[in-house]
Amino acid sequence: MFAYITRRLIQGVVVLLAVSFICFIIFIYSGDPVISLAGRYATLQEREEVRKAFGLDKPFYVQYVRFIANAAQGNFGKSYVSRVPALGLIMERFPATAELAVSAIFLAFTIGVGLGVLVSLKPYAFRNRLIMTGSLVNISMPTFLTGILLIMIFAVYLRILPPFGRGETVDLGFWRTGFLTLSGIQHLLLPAFTLGMYQLAVLLRLTRAGMREVLTEEYIKTAWSKGLPPRKVIFKHALRNVMIPVVTMTGLQFGELIAFSIVTETIFQWPGMGNLLLTSIYEGDQPVIVTYIMLAALIILSLNIIVDILYAFLNPKIRYE
Amino acid sequence: MKKLFLSFLTVTVMATLLGLTGQAVWASSIVVAVDTPPRTMNPHGSDADANLSVMANFFEGLLQRKAPTGELLPALAVRYEHPDLLTWKFYLRKGVKFHNGNPFTAADVKFSFERLGNPDVSEFINTGKSFASIETPDDYTVVVKTKDPIPWFANNMHQIYIMDKESTEARDPGEVEVKPIGTGAYKFVEWVKGSYLKMVANEDYWEGAPPIKNVELRPITESSTRFAALVSGQADIVSGIPVELYEKIVENPKLEIIKRPARRSIFLAIGNKPGSPLADFRVRKAMYMAINEGEIIEKIMRGHASPAAQIPDPPTIGYNPDIKRLPYDPEMAKKLLKEAGYENGFEVTLSGPNDRYVKDEKIAEAVAKYLAKVGIKAKLDVKPKSIFFPQVAKGELEFYLIGWFDGTFDMGRTYFKLAHTRDQEKGFGGFNGAAYSNAALDKLLQSTADMVNPPDREKTLQDLNKMAMVDQIIWIPLHYQEDLYAIQKGKGIKFQPRPDRWIVFKEISKQ
Repeated sequence: MFAYITRRLIQGVVVLLAVSFICFIIFIYSGDPVISLAGRYATLQEREEVRKAFGLDKPFYVQYVRFIANAAQGNFGKSYVSRVPALGLIMERFPATAELAVSAIFLAFTIGVGLGVLVSLKPYAFRNRLIMTGSLVNISMPTFLTGILLIMIFAVYLRILPPFGRGETVDLGFWRTGFLTLSGIQHLLLPAFTLGMYQLAVLLRLTRAGMREVLTEEYIKTAWSKGLPPRKVIFKHALRNVMIPVVTMTGLQFGELIAFSIVTETIFQWPGMGNLLLTSIYEGDQPVIVTYIMLAALIILSLNIIVDILYAFLNPKIRYE
Repeated sequence: MKKLFLSFLTVTVMATLLGLTGQAVWASSIVVAVDTPPRTMNPHGSDADANLSVMANFFEGLLQRKAPTGELLPALAVRYEHPDLLTWKFYLRKGVKFHNGNPFTAADVKFSFERLGNPDVSEFINTGKSFASIETPDDYTVVVKTKDPIPWFANNMHQIYIMDKESTEARDPGEVEVKPIGTGAYKFVEWVKGSYLKMVANEDYWEGAPPIKNVELRPITESSTRFAALVSGQADIVSGIPVELYEKIVENPKLEIIKRPARRSIFLAIGNKPGSPLADFRVRKAMYMAINEGEIIEKIMRGHASPAAQIPDPPTIGYNPDIKRLPYDPEMAKKLLKEAGYENGFEVTLSGPNDRYVKDEKIAEAVAKYLAKVGIKAKLDVKPKSIFFPQVAKGELEFYLIGWFDGTFDMGRTYFKLAHTRDQEKGFGGFNGAAYSNAALDKLLQSTADMVNPPDREKTLQDLNKMAMVDQIIWIPLHYQEDLYAIQKGKGIKFQPRPDRWIVFKEISKQ
């Protein structure tokens, strides 16, 4: 187990290095930050002075090595736009994204697995077929459209939920949370649902398929014939065996939700990392974009490792040699 | 665990109570939703109009511009003199205090001007490097000498904001980037990036306290969400209304549209590399006449634009009312091309941004189609502005769509930047993206560099403009954009848009 984790960690570092290198190559071809740094009316000479001041006149490999050396010490450079450390800028937005992703995955997991179990018990009932069709719509509808539709229905016509933003937040010093106020929760509902909807549908279908397979197994029949209460048969004997792929999926998707909530955050003007990323891309703020991508890679890598470890606990048959 | 829960409960209750007491204060308040989030609270950190607009509420320049005309008026300076070509003497206003209580003096002006040249904190490098000396004979006089004559120097002073020397030097540089201390009509309260910027009236403001006491600025980048915020009543004023949603707002009885012609003109810049078809005046004229601008305004801009015959707008020094648009005449265009020897057309690459101006990509597409009708094959090459503008700055393009307006209301600076032959030494032509070059134009332009007498200057710039637009066709003008805002009717909001698209809250009132 220990050797396995060490190996995974080393792999992770290699992946991070590769990601940072690719980012750097992309940036060489994606515009010149000096143009905006020096201002609209800077002369060509003044631009060169600014280029020197930011070390952008150095050859590519020098810039890259310097970046890696600094990054190893937790210094990802300063944003070209806000002129404050890029990492701080992103971490400031992290609580918003984390809360959104946690809520989304919570909604997706509880509703998805719950409905999945429900549907698997009577797969041919009309109501359950309706749910399955609904989940197909969920999977095929782009997030962008879902978000706009939800805003139009709940914020503009019914006027029961706010269309954008985080509402009242409470600053705990290190973490600005929207979980503690009513307005914060109200603001969270639409974006969390939008973000988690795809995952909800996937988990629903996954649970249903797994449950239908497991429910036909001999040991379930045994459990029924022993006269165990349905709650025990379904949740303890059947569902537990379905959970392995479901938990894997949830874990992997959680990382993606955090890293790629860009569309949802943009539609709802959610002040999270995805929103920052998009703004930074528009403004060509390279340090922020690189830091964000590195951070996203780090989150996804760590979650993959955690899921692998969780496996071993869920199913003692799995061993890492 | 129980303790933790209790402390959470206390925090929640306190937050709710704070929210309740907050209600009373918000009686004279306003929520403004804008399309571009503020980038920084450092007044010199961004020269984008979206940021300068926000900073205008916390900070002030020596001069200011007011709605609705953009007239240049005194602010931190009560008056100024221009004794010779290089010297500018400003007499400062007495008794003005910064938000932290520090008095405003000449030392602050000197400090702020010197700060402009530091690339770590400023995007106004050009202005910062133009000073030869800054002297402060007494606490309320500043004498500035520039290295070269800058006729538009004073015209720029409304966006060169003055910071407090003492607190800016004493505070951590990171804090200066996020917590502004100025002399403006509003004091900073809180900035949660991506969410809101809150400010409160400066009751000691030298012009008198502003009528609206609390302002909340909310950036909403997605236009349909901004529309939802407006329709659901969560924002009082919204800027950047997309032309597609115009009708919807007009139909809504609770909302009101406010529009004004924008200063920015959209135009096509054409290179004249010797030997290329574009160097032939007849070809340039043919391209101009092949474009159906009336249809672009009607179909693409949905009527929210007005045709332009030149780049500057009427209030700009150098605007020439005698310049008229060439008529749309594809037959004539074909004839001109035939005369020039391009009966079978030629190929050209049309570049442009796709995320900068209203419908920029669609306009470029339309232009390519009009040109195809007279036989010119325009290859379309539109891209994000973060890639496009550096190409313009490097002068790598041959034919491109761009928009411009000059914050100084003087065409001179713009022409040096956009039309003068690219010259690394002198720093001219930095945004002359197709490397256009014309010796006669350069000469006339250089003669205006030390021309300060207003009537002479205006006359020469008008001649220059005519030379560029009529005699040479260095650009094909398309249209002036229209700025669209929407406000909640029935809340008694009085709002006059400004030519520079800034939203200055002291100019807004509410009954």
